[in-house]
Amino acid sequence: MTRGPVDIGDPDRLYMVTGGRTDADDAFDLVTLIVSECEPTAGMQSEHVRILEICRHPTALVEVAAELKLPITVVRILLGDLHDMGQISARHPRAARSVAGLPETALLQEVLHGLRNL
Amino acid sequence: MSVPARPRQRRSAKGARSSPAAFLVILLVTAAGAASAALLAPRPARGWVAGTAAVAWCCLALVTAVALRRVGRARRQGAAQYDELEAGRSDWRRQSAETARLVTVTLPGLAGQVREGVPAEEALARAAGPADPHLRQLAQLFAGELADAVRRATEAEAELHAVRGELMRETGQLTRLTEETLPAAITLLRGGSSADTTLGRFDWPQNTLLRDTAERVIRELAHSERRSAAAQAASAKALSRVQAKIVSMLADLRDMQDRHGEEVFGDLLRLDHSTSQLGLMTDRLALLMGGRSSRVWNKPIVMESILRGAVGRIAAYRRVRLHSSSRAAISGFAAEGVMHLLAELMDNAANFSPPIDEVHVYVEERSAGLVITIEDSGLKMSDAAMRRAEESVSGRSTDLATLQGTRLGLGVVGRLAVKYGISVNYRPSSRGGTGVVVLLPPQLVAQQRTPLVTEHPPRRTQAEPVVPAPAPAPAAEAPRPARTPAPAPAAEASPRSEVPAPRASATPGGLPVRAPGRTMAEAERGRRHPAPEPPAARREPGLARDAGTRFGAFHRSRRGAGSAPDGTAPENPGDPRHPQDRTGTHPVPTDD
Repeated sequence: MTRGPVDIGDPDRLYMVTGGRTDADDAFDLVTLIVSECEPTAGMQSEHVRILEICRHPTALVEVAAELKLPITVVRILLGDLHDMGQISARHPRAARSVAGLPETALLQEVLHGLRNL
Repeated sequence: MSVPARPRQRRSAKGARSSPAAFLVILLVTAAGAASAALLAPRPARGWVAGTAAVAWCCLALVTAVALRRVGRARRQGAAQYDELEAGRSDWRRQSAETARLVTVTLPGLAGQVREGVPAEEALARAAGPADPHLRQLAQLFAGELADAVRRATEAEAELHAVRGELMRETGQLTRLTEETLPAAITLLRGGSSADTTLGRFDWPQNTLLRDTAERVIRELAHSERRSAAAQAASAKALSRVQAKIVSMLADLRDMQDRHGEEVFGDLLRLDHSTSQLGLMTDRLALLMGGRSSRVWNKPIVMESILRGAVGRIAAYRRVRLHSSSRAAISGFAAEGVMHLLAELMDNAANFSPPIDEVHVYVEERSAGLVITIEDSGLKMSDAAMRRAEESVSGRSTDLATLQGTRLGLGVVGRLAVKYGISVNYRPSSRGGTGVVVLLPPQLVAQQRTPLVTEHPPRRTQAEPVVPAPAPAPAAEAPRPARTPAPAPAAEASPRSEVPAPRASATPGGLPVRAPGRTMAEAERGRRHPAPEPPAARREPGLARDAGTRFGAFHRSRRGAGSAPDGTAPENPGDPRHPQDRTGTHPVPTDD
């Protein structure tokens, strides 16, 4: 019997995290900034608690996903739940800052390649 | 006896004497009468009268004489007959006395002697048998028959004794066979001994019939035990392969879920769910066949994950509502068993309640342990059904023969409950259906109960040598292992494990330095946290993260989403030292 190597994950399956839902809320894209509006309460799903903790300061969706080690889709669903309950607020970075202040995507990619090639 | 005879003889003698005298008196009287008549008669007639009187007297005298003789003869006859009668009577008396003596004295004595073993002839001689030849013959016959009967009785008695002894011996052997030998032999057979070993070890009955029967039974039983053991072993072996395959499939699926985007996500989740259900069925069979669960967790699993892991394995997982705020964790060794047990009970509850009703699961922490209540609102179980269910989950009978049809789940629950000391009780539910109360004893609950936040520490501490990563039960402090062991080249990042310590990971200007083979985010972490801090402390003040953190997270996420086929090139320069990392089943030892 295969033992050990594959047993170090978590028993949670993603469909349990999302409650069986697979359709994400389109309101969030990868760079949407999320801010918690309240403290986690007892009895909340652990992922919700962690999102609320991570997002005490505005945090991008991708970052949340990376911290939770969950796929983007799952995080979107979870954020959708929290948003519906009014426990987070989301805003697009472009709405907050001047568009000109942000580097272009091409530039970012170029930086990325540069960094990788270091 | 002769005494009463005397008066009669005397009386008859007197009678015999008196009769002639009477006759003589009559003759004298009549003679006197005739003489007087002749004297008195007139002369002329005197002659006639005298003649007639003389003739008449003569006739009378004649008749009297004849009569006297007759009487005398008759008397003599009577006397002779009387004597004869008397003799016969005395004979009879004597014989009757003899018979009485024979019956009351001789025969009992004879019988007693013969019974004591004296031969019949000797006993007859000793007993002085009756004088009468018939009676003597009778006594002889009696003695002979009695001796014969006594001999036969003795023989019969001896035979009976022998038979009884034999019967006792046989009964004893049979009793020993039934009560001692056979049960012990069966136990030995169940333990896996062969028929010959078992037959050689015990003392079998002498009776060939009994011995042959016992031997046949033992051989047949050994054969059937061997067959069932072989079948079980083959099943367990085959199932363990299926289990391994399912576990690796689940890992692959999880990895695909990370790598692929939204378009296939739903399908992947469905596949994941099907595979999880398959895992539950396979584990169920494996446990029944004496195999093991497919997985063993090497760390405590928090209650939320336990419950979700359990619910995720049943078909109707959407109908299960979890009500748990418990932060307890189940020790790794028992986590899989507890999950399986709960999954079986939830499956049962969901299957036996209407498909629109929900199954509610409550968790309470009590001093006696963790109490998990599973309530459905289906039909109330009948008393008999509840008793049967209680019997199944008690685990008292682990024999496969007690399994009934397709209802295997409760049998598995019983085995797991016994193995981990879990108590499972059925009771009517306040919701109208049936409730199951599961009590997890405290020894299954991991000791440390830490705030939920720190249960999933990010990878920041992973590369710190100070952190005892392989500690046995580091619920909170252990680095969280990877959900998937990174089968895809893009997600591999294997060389991380090679980095022994956080290097000097920042430039003097404060920018992160990425070591070869490490992701930027990790380099960033190493730089920001050179010393192992409690993960909880990390997040509090300075969540004002800098650009590096964010960029790292961004990059990891994008990579995880499978957007970049080109991610392979820079991330993993194909480290030849770790070819097995590509297999996707090998763990990264200290890393996540």
